[in-house]
Amino acid sequence: MSGISNKAAIVGLHESPLRKAPGVHPFRIMMDSVNAALGDAGLTVDDVDGLCVASGDWAEGGAVESVTEFADYAGITPTWFNGTDVGGCSYIVHAGHAAAAIATGMADVVVITYAACPRWWPLDTPSFDPFVLPAGPGQFELPYDPTLISTYALMAQRHISEYGTKSEQLAEIAVTFRRHADHNPQAKMHGPLTIDDVLSSPMVASPLHKFDCCLVTDGGGAIVMTSAERARDLRRKPVYLTGFGSAVRRTQISQIPEDLSTPARVSGKRAFDMAGLGHADIDVAQLYDAFTITPLLALEDLGFCRRGEGGDFVSDGNLGIGGALPCNTDGGGLSSNHPGKRGLFALIEGARQLRSEGPGVQVENAETALVHGLGGTFCASATAILTV
Amino acid sequence: MKPVIDNDSAPFWDRLKKRQLLIQRCPATGKYQWYPRGHSIYAPGVSPEWVEAKGTGTLFSYTVIHVGNTKRPPYNCAMVRLDEGVIMLSSLRDVDPTDMYVGLPLRVCFEPLDDEIDLPVFRPA
Repeated sequence: MSGISNKAAIVGLHESPLRKAPGVHPFRIMMDSVNAALGDAGLTVDDVDGLCVASGDWAEGGAVESVTEFADYAGITPTWFNGTDVGGCSYIVHAGHAAAAIATGMADVVVITYAACPRWWPLDTPSFDPFVLPAGPGQFELPYDPTLISTYALMAQRHISEYGTKSEQLAEIAVTFRRHADHNPQAKMHGPLTIDDVLSSPMVASPLHKFDCCLVTDGGGAIVMTSAERARDLRRKPVYLTGFGSAVRRTQISQIPEDLSTPARVSGKRAFDMAGLGHADIDVAQLYDAFTITPLLALEDLGFCRRGEGGDFVSDGNLGIGGALPCNTDGGGLSSNHPGKRGLFALIEGARQLRSEGPGVQVENAETALVHGLGGTFCASATAILTV
Repeated sequence: MKPVIDNDSAPFWDRLKKRQLLIQRCPATGKYQWYPRGHSIYAPGVSPEWVEAKGTGTLFSYTVIHVGNTKRPPYNCAMVRLDEGVIMLSSLRDVDPTDMYVGLPLRVCFEPLDDEIDLPVFRPA
């Protein structure tokens, strides 16, 4: 596996500035983003022979992703393609798979793209957890009508009860990322957010309030990857995929281990091992923030602090600029952009930080970024370590 | 939402009508497993056996849902740790949200989901 370390690089990227796109089909945003990312790299669609689209998820956020249908729409004939869909971290998974394809010569130029327009999407999308159907394993949970958010809420309540984590500490995460978003002209949310604002916002699923939850935006983006050799001849500073790990474990919330450990423990260790780096080497992190509990658990499972210490890690100011681990520097899914599957934007922002192009706050001279996402309700996870 | 019952899960749903909560045990290791499957997750190639759970446990975690799907909120979802050691998703009855706490002793009870299906839920023991 370490055979793919530094063999491939992100050479082009684009995050659509759209946050609300009434009447715009997601493929239009994907195509515009693909062309913009290719232009950023100094390539064109004629160079593309690899395509990653998280196919099969029709339920979440008005996405209509299909690797075949999008190839058709784009007018290309990719000979390497990947439709892996394990939820919001799928695009980080794609980056690892693309690096493997590039390292083995199966692909030369790979595009990873995503868009969704849940704000106007007119077709019915079931609002239950899209990873669970009331058949097979899901037949034992769906009769109780859990919502997607409620499964995160169950994790949050357990964390609060078991480790003494405070709702104020969860709120601090939203407050910090809003501070970052306030510098990002493209972020959906601006203006100050206080801990009181979070705690006094309506309860969605206790203990999670409205401002503990990510946004619902329309949006999309794209990333271009190629080999390290070719990357050095292109327009932009290559951002190398130095470490990568992924893991899938469970779907039903009842299967969460009693210590709440998630697949991030596995994916994170694999990424650090491949990169040959330690936690102190990470200059900036992008942690998928579907809900405030999500990055808190990630900090613990990735080993930035011990289980149960996430609340203190956050309230010590570590996630802001000047902290030990500046995090979600664009404002994250809580305050910048979240059409349903944020993994691609986390990857884009990780690369932007290493190119000193962060649209929100920028970590000076950042050379190593950790990008981490989860899928579903801690069902899957992917961790990438990027370097320049 | 109504469960889609299959051959492997039918005994579980059938016995709920007799007010019995079945879980599975691995005959090779003696370990319990939830949710029901056609195989033991502890011993390759071993079929699990059905056993009646004691029906007692403690509250592992809980949430009161204020923005719901098909049910009218507020309603709660609860993770219940049975005394056999497995955790199942369920829901609490006869307890005010302010009286819910992790570790609350619980006992199973049964309520109809519709004319055909009974559902195990829990109330304070």
